[in-house]
Amino acid sequence: MKWNKEKIKSVLPHRDPFLFIDEVSEIEGSQKVVAVKNVKNSESYFTGHFPGNPVMPGVLIIEAMAQSAIVLYTLAKPDIAETRPSYYLGKVKSEFLSPVYPGDRLVIETRSVKIISDAGIVDSVAKVGDTVVAKANLVFGIRKQ
Amino acid sequence: MSTNYEEEVRNLVSEIIEIPAEKLTYEEDFIDDLNVDSLKAIEIVAAFEKKYRIVIPEEDIPKIRSLGKIIEYTKTMQKD
Repeated sequence: MKWNKEKIKSVLPHRDPFLFIDEVSEIEGSQKVVAVKNVKNSESYFTGHFPGNPVMPGVLIIEAMAQSAIVLYTLAKPDIAETRPSYYLGKVKSEFLSPVYPGDRLVIETRSVKIISDAGIVDSVAKVGDTVVAKANLVFGIRKQ
Repeated sequence: MSTNYEEEVRNLVSEIIEIPAEKLTYEEDFIDDLNVDSLKAIEIVAAFEKKYRIVIPEEDIPKIRSLGKIIEYTKTMQKD
């Protein structure tokens, strides 16, 4: 493990129950990060999505990807990240290929397409084991405080 | 480079900023005249980088704020 949850919380403004990455397992400079979300039985959203048939909502997989993109941004632009800017998601193109269930270890590989001071584009792939469960291209913005 | 190249660039920009290609002039400023925000701007930059296999450094982005300037800039980049 490269980053534990405490380190992640030092760069992400999100907190439980809306923090969707538990660890960062790999870092390749400011080009790629691999983040992990251990999907627990106790996740609050499983109560309603769906009763008796728990499936992780696709939008939350996108949220986990977006949070990993912030980690990548902090590696690319540490000076700006240190000022605790606001991060906002602008555009997402996504495909959902397979359901994610309680107990799954969701592994998110996020690569930089282009990151500049006030915006970024990443490609992200989420896997459970060897199965690709979702792919997305995310465009996000950064607004300095 | 031919006019075809200019048309290609025009179409690429048009698709991202969602303004019909025939309505784009060479002079209009993307940000002041066409309401291009930072997210659309990075999409334009990334699309050029991918299509023409170039790298546009962040410090050059403010120099390419119109169709005319981006055509001129990317022509120079490709000659290098």
